[in-house]
Amino acid sequence: MTIPIVPKLLRSHLSDLAERDARIDGRGRWEGRELEVEHSILPRAEGSARVRMGDTIVLAGVKFQIMTPYPDRPNQGGLMCSAEVRPVAGRNWESGPPSPESIELGRVVDRGIRESGCIDVDSLCIIPGEKAWQVILDLFAISDDGNLFDAFALAGIAALRNATVPAERFEVGEDYPLSVSKTPIMCSYHKVGGRFVFDATAREELGGDERIHITLGDDNNVHSLQKGLKGIFSAGEFTEIMDNAIERTEKLRKIIDEL
Amino acid sequence: MGGYGDVQMIDENGVRADGRGPGDIRPITIETGVVPVADGSCRMTWGTNEAIVAVYGPMEAHPRKIQRQDRAVLDVAYNMAPFSTTDRMRPGFNRRSREVSKVTQDALESVVLLELYPRSKIRVSIEIVSAEAGTRCVGLTAASVALADAGIPMTDLVVSVASGKINDVVVCDLNKEEDNYGEADLPMGIMPNSGELVFLQMDGDLSQDEFKQAWKYNMDAAQEIHKLMVEALNGGDSQ
Repeated sequence: MTIPIVPKLLRSHLSDLAERDARIDGRGRWEGRELEVEHSILPRAEGSARVRMGDTIVLAGVKFQIMTPYPDRPNQGGLMCSAEVRPVAGRNWESGPPSPESIELGRVVDRGIRESGCIDVDSLCIIPGEKAWQVILDLFAISDDGNLFDAFALAGIAALRNATVPAERFEVGEDYPLSVSKTPIMCSYHKVGGRFVFDATAREELGGDERIHITLGDDNNVHSLQKGLKGIFSAGEFTEIMDNAIERTEKLRKIIDEL
Repeated sequence: MGGYGDVQMIDENGVRADGRGPGDIRPITIETGVVPVADGSCRMTWGTNEAIVAVYGPMEAHPRKIQRQDRAVLDVAYNMAPFSTTDRMRPGFNRRSREVSKVTQDALESVVLLELYPRSKIRVSIEIVSAEAGTRCVGLTAASVALADAGIPMTDLVVSVASGKINDVVVCDLNKEEDNYGEADLPMGIMPNSGELVFLQMDGDLSQDEFKQAWKYNMDAAQEIHKLMVEALNGGDSQ
């Protein structure tokens, strides 16, 4: 993503707003945008979801392949997660090989899902040492108005939780639902005008500093953390957003579990 | 074309496996403004195909060497999302999508009034999120709606539709199975107001009479689809 001319005016506007504890779109500091989650919306994918957060829209699709298990783990299948942000999603995203930004997106979401242990890789084995399922989660941005991280993570887990293993098509038995035992949820905070806010828009990202991503599991265990972009934060600031993430992930998990 | 198979896809009464008659097209929906951050956009479903197109621009063309002093440059990219096909589509460079991008760009350059925007660029991103058969037609048709939604002046919209041949019968708008096992495929890009063409491809085997029939099916279908496009652009979804 090419960064446009340093938006000095935007930065000072955001600082002014922060002093009055206000945000550029009128939300409160910890307030998320309107959220919409749908699942099973793509006919060719074995699991899929569409997430809309304000003007940010993403798709997630789950596909399966048969792989040969790794020699050191003959009883395990695999999970692969990749994110693509193509030029369709915004004027600043360009075509070509994956940008560092989109690679970071995919990897951070991947870690949250993988480390939560929500997918039992042992259950993906078909014939030990010979055949196992590889679950591929593809995250695809349709419209980027900021905070693709949370949108991708939410769409990803929603798609996995509603996925069907296509055993019949691969002639290895009957189709069955993919077992996903947990619901890891990511919450992202961006420092805008000197203080962290939840669910930043593209304009806040453009005029902001560092961002922090937290993925929490069902029992509030921490599964992935990532600090991105230039900036310095204190332990106190981190405690504040962690407390908010605990509260927030619980609400979001309920939405996903009840789909 | 997959060539001849033993697959029976149309019965003696001219009823196809999905219940359509030879000249019928699959159900179509068109919606505009589906990518809120874009200058114009369109979501089109056609059977179980789904395309999402975003238009950005006219905007600064960079690097400067791509600028044209007398007109805008059009930058069209057609791409299939990894989960759009039965077997996962690997992201990245692909000869087929490069070709489809090029012929789509050639078609759109024929209708967009590029000379109104010298030294600028108009970007058209076509993303196929679900593929059945005829994705290039869905992409091109949806792209012309998205350009209109962005307010870019054009001499006409472009309706793209394909006819082909299954079990020796000429039919309009092949579905997945018909495309796989059919004997011919003739996609065209039609300017519905003049009946002129901006895009044409064909592969397979058609007699002169069959070719004329396929041509006629495409021309008739174009008028039908054009109505849905105009409806969507005049506000509201179309069914």
